[in-house]
Amino acid sequence: MKPAKFLASTAKDFTLNLDNDYRYMKASYYVSLHAEILGNDVIPSSENIIDSSRTPILLLRASRAGIPTVPFVVTDSVKKISNEVGFPAVVFAVNPFIHEGYRTAYNRTALYRAVKSLGMNYKFAVCAQPLKGEMSTFKSFFGKCSQDEEARGIARRVYQLFGIPVCKLHVQRIEGKAYLSGLQSVEKSELTPTDLKTISHEVLLLAEQGDHISG
Amino acid sequence: MGRIACFVEKYNFSDPREEAALENFRRAAEEAGQEFQFLFREDIDEIPRYDAVFIRATTDPLYTSYVVSKTAWELGMRVIDDPESIKICANKIHQYALFEKYNVPRIPTIFLNKDELHHRKITGVFETLGKPVVIKAPYTSFSRYVEKAACETSFRDIAKRYFKKSDTIAIQKFVPTQFDWRVGVLNDQVLYVCKYMIPKGRWKHGAKLRGKPTVIWGRTVSMKKQNAPLKLRETALKACRVVGKGLYGVDLKEVDGDFVIVEVNDNPSIYAGYEDLRDKDLYSKIIDYLTE
Repeated sequence: MKPAKFLASTAKDFTLNLDNDYRYMKASYYVSLHAEILGNDVIPSSENIIDSSRTPILLLRASRAGIPTVPFVVTDSVKKISNEVGFPAVVFAVNPFIHEGYRTAYNRTALYRAVKSLGMNYKFAVCAQPLKGEMSTFKSFFGKCSQDEEARGIARRVYQLFGIPVCKLHVQRIEGKAYLSGLQSVEKSELTPTDLKTISHEVLLLAEQGDHISG
Repeated sequence: MGRIACFVEKYNFSDPREEAALENFRRAAEEAGQEFQFLFREDIDEIPRYDAVFIRATTDPLYTSYVVSKTAWELGMRVIDDPESIKICANKIHQYALFEKYNVPRIPTIFLNKDELHHRKITGVFETLGKPVVIKAPYTSFSRYVEKAACETSFRDIAKRYFKKSDTIAIQKFVPTQFDWRVGVLNDQVLYVCKYMIPKGRWKHGAKLRGKPTVIWGRTVSMKKQNAPLKLRETALKACRVVGKGLYGVDLKEVDGDFVIVEVNDNPSIYAGYEDLRDKDLYSKIIDYLTE
C-alpha cells in the first residue's frame, strides 16, 4: 500500500512501515503516527523514528539496553570537547537540518570547523565522541547485515530496540570489539538490487504476521 | 531538598518580563526549600545530578531541548515538558489527529499531504472550509508558520514552503475573533486564564508589519481563573487530557458562545505581569509539581 492510500485509510491491522527515509516529519513518520492513532501495532513506532535519529538519545537508550556504545558529550563548546573527549573526536549533528554522517576532527582547528558547521554556526549543540579505534558504516535491514559477528550483534540489538527496518549504522571498532556510534537513513541510490532482495525476503517473513504493508 | 534544573537558552533572558518570570520560579523554589539552577546547553551531562528538569527553552523533537527532556525521562526524573508532550504539541498533525480520535471540539481542519497539492484538491479544500483558509505548518509556534490564503496561487506558494520540512500540513477554517483565550493548565488543573488580544487590523496574536521583520504582539489581558467561563475551562482540560499531564497553554476561540480548540502548546510563555497577573501562585504550583 502506498503511504498516501494508507494515510486515508482506517485499516486496523499490524502495520509494517517500509521506507528508506525515516526522518521526523517525512511521509514515513506520518505513516507510523497514523497507524498508532488507529491503534495498530507498527514497525517502527513514531517515537523510535525520532529517538533513533537523535544521536545522544540513540546512544543513551542503547546503552541502557546493554548495547555497547561509545561515550559522548552534547555541547556547543569546543573547549569542553577538547577537554573531555580529546582528539581525534567524532562529531554528529543534533539539529533539525543536518541528518547525514559525522565529521572526524584530529585537531582543534578541525574541531572548530566541525562544531561550527554541524552546529549551524553555534546555533545548535553537537554530539561528540572520542575516536579510539576505526569508524565503520554499513547498511542494516531488519537488524541483519553482512558484517562480522560483533557488528551483526549490534545491528540485531539496535533493531530489537528501535525497529528501524532500513538504516545505516555507524560503529566504532576498538580492539576487535564494536561499539554503536550513530544511525542514519539510507539514500535510495545506495540500495543495490541485492539489498532490495534481502528486504523483500524479510518482508515475506514478516507478512505471515500481517498484511498491511505500506511503503 | 530537591534539586531542580531549569533548562534555558540565551534567548530566554532577552525579554525582561520573561527574565523576571524565571527569577520568580527561582524564588518560589527557594521558598519551598528546593535548589533551582539554570542549566545551559553545555551542561547537559549534569542532568543526572538533579531530581527534576523544567524546560523553558523552545521545545521540538529536533532541538536540544528534546534531548534534555528524553534524557531526564529515561533517568526516571520528573520533567516539564515531558518527551511525549513535546512530540504531540510540536507536531500539530499529531495533535489534531488525536483531537479527532477523542472528539475534542476544534476548528475544522483538513490534512494535506505533499502529493495532494493539485487543483482539484485545493478547490475541494476551499469548498469545504470557505475562503480564506489558514495554512499551518505542523511545527508552528509563536504565531510563526501560520498564514492565510484566499486563492489557489497563494495557497500553493505557502504550502510549498511548508512542505520543504514536513510531508503533511494542516489547513483550517479561518475564524476571525478579537482575541484568543489562553488557558494555562498543569496536571489536569487550570493554572491561569488570559486573553491574547489580536492587534488591530490583524488576524493573529503575533503579526508582522508589512515588509518589516519586527513582530507586533497583541496585549495580554489576564483575568481570575474563577471568573472565566466554565465551559472554556472544561474544553481546555478535555483537550489537555488527550495530550498528557504536564504544563500546557491552550488556545481557544469563542464562536457563538461555544469554545473550540485552536491548539494546545507545551512550553507555554510565562511572562511576569502577563500570565501571572491574577494568579501569582502559578510559580509555586509548578515547582510543587516538579518536586512532589
